[in-house]
Amino acid sequence: MKPGQIYLDNCVSSAVAPEVIDAMQPYFSQKFWFPGSFISTGESSNDALTGFQSIVAKSIGARGEEIHFTSGGTLANNLAIKGIANAAKKGHVICSVVDYPDLLTNAAWLEKQGFEVSYLAADDKAVIDLDQLKREIRPDTFLFMTTAVNHVVGSIQPLSEIRKILDAAGHKIYLHVDAGQAFGKMHLNVDDFGIDTMAISAHKIHGPQGIGALYQRKGTKLAQLIHGVKRVDNLQTGGLSIALIAGFAKAVELSFEDLDATIGQLRELSDYLWARLQEKIPYIELNGAEGEGRAPHNVNISIDYIEGEAITMMLDMHGITVATGSACASQGLKANYVLMAIGKNHVQSHGSMKFTLSRYNTKEELDTVVDRLAEITLELRKRSPLYNAFLKNQEK
Amino acid sequence: MQYSQKVLDHFMHPHNVGKMENPDATATEGSPSCGDQVTVYLKVNEEKQIIEDISFLSYGCASNIATASIITDLAKGKSLEEAKKITWRDAMDALDGLPPVKVHCSVLAADTLQTAISNYEIAHGLKEVPDFSKETILEELKKIIYPQVGEDIVSLKMVKYVGFSDGEVLIDLNMMAFDSWRDNVKEEIIEHLEKYPEVKKIEVNFP
Repeated sequence: MKPGQIYLDNCVSSAVAPEVIDAMQPYFSQKFWFPGSFISTGESSNDALTGFQSIVAKSIGARGEEIHFTSGGTLANNLAIKGIANAAKKGHVICSVVDYPDLLTNAAWLEKQGFEVSYLAADDKAVIDLDQLKREIRPDTFLFMTTAVNHVVGSIQPLSEIRKILDAAGHKIYLHVDAGQAFGKMHLNVDDFGIDTMAISAHKIHGPQGIGALYQRKGTKLAQLIHGVKRVDNLQTGGLSIALIAGFAKAVELSFEDLDATIGQLRELSDYLWARLQEKIPYIELNGAEGEGRAPHNVNISIDYIEGEAITMMLDMHGITVATGSACASQGLKANYVLMAIGKNHVQSHGSMKFTLSRYNTKEELDTVVDRLAEITLELRKRSPLYNAFLKNQEK
Repeated sequence: MQYSQKVLDHFMHPHNVGKMENPDATATEGSPSCGDQVTVYLKVNEEKQIIEDISFLSYGCASNIATASIITDLAKGKSLEEAKKITWRDAMDALDGLPPVKVHCSVLAADTLQTAISNYEIAHGLKEVPDFSKETILEELKKIIYPQVGEDIVSLKMVKYVGFSDGEVLIDLNMMAFDSWRDNVKEEIIEHLEKYPEVKKIEVNFP
């Protein structure tokens, strides 16, 4: 058994595409130069960088100069959120209780700096409460931030409706989107949704780790956060990796060449997985939205009566990598906050399994996973006092 | 891999697992909301006071299942007096250790074994139902593991004060504001003490 032989944890990081490795190669050895100087090496790098910016920009309907390369999604989120807040100096921010930790930890930091933050509730599908959004908007609200595709249950937030509500406020409210899970999994045109800033990353779409980008709509003022030598602009200070940027651009080309086909393939795989799971394993349920309401790569289920860390450990012994929302598998020993916020109980959270697929997964792989998981569920249920109590109740 | 080979062996192929028909004593500890629950069944030779058979059920993680398995190995064939001396430390040692954040899982299985023995003794008139006192609280606090280091909070001198009067438990803990395990330890304390009918209110204070 090889670790990660069947890998279904692509929302965390995904395998680098072979074409991406080829695209990066020359920029490590022959064309490693930094942009910025007017001699041929610097110019060559300038041209390459501009080309890569355009490729990434095109995938979200933006312009090249609106793209800043960062070390990943987290830096992009920080540059946007802290940049907008520091430029505003004071006021009110809105996000939701089911947002990605990047947004929630930034919200907590903003509160410490004296900003006020409102946290919207979410429904049982992890979709934010739009009526509450309308009620929470104040004259000093300057930023609304959201996670376009929920990182746990894959639900898609209604960005168009959100923008309409923000526009109805009568003053400018910036819309920042964390698109870590959405990028390459749905159409995400920044003009269609009126997005002002957005964070994306390469390694979730088969690009290299360590590279992401911040989209900054022209005219959106961001206070400078990282001070240092200026290579490209005030948001991209310090060194940069032209090779990783080249890899990112190639990964974008591969995913977006035919985005509908990419989405269709992922949707077919996830529908197949959910159907097979229901067929083979009793007493399970889908967490989050069904059908078009969820991102095409995410299947999150709760398996009744057993605990997720034990399940993932056993799957791991078979070379299968998946994630769980169990407290026992988390660093903080807490049940998953998104599942708890959408009304799941502790047992549903502890017994939750998250499968996130990529275009490299096959139906044969999914068959193997479901077969192994069915065996493991049977074995762990045999050992479980909860399942034994359930059987006893059924006999009555 | 953070788990020892022994933990993995007992997790994948646990000993003495399964429900026992007509046990002489049984106990269930933990709760699904905390993510783990263990049931222990005992068959006791009344004349010799020896645990002739033992089995368990476990809802929990790998460490929980492995600890329950090793606890049953340690207790099987022992006299009740010997088995009463088995602690979570014995279970952990027998498993070649556990990652610090997982040590708390070993407490539950050891605890359930002790409760099963106690239930047997009470049912057979070998002892009376113990009175609830400050000592009971201290014994419970010795089962609360500080996940950062995998030691109990009493040994780590984190308990500054314990008070009990009129059903109210008051505990002062030496845990700083920046300690991210505060909530976790507090929840564990409440879980351990709220099962006693004598306890009406629990107050846990930090500096």
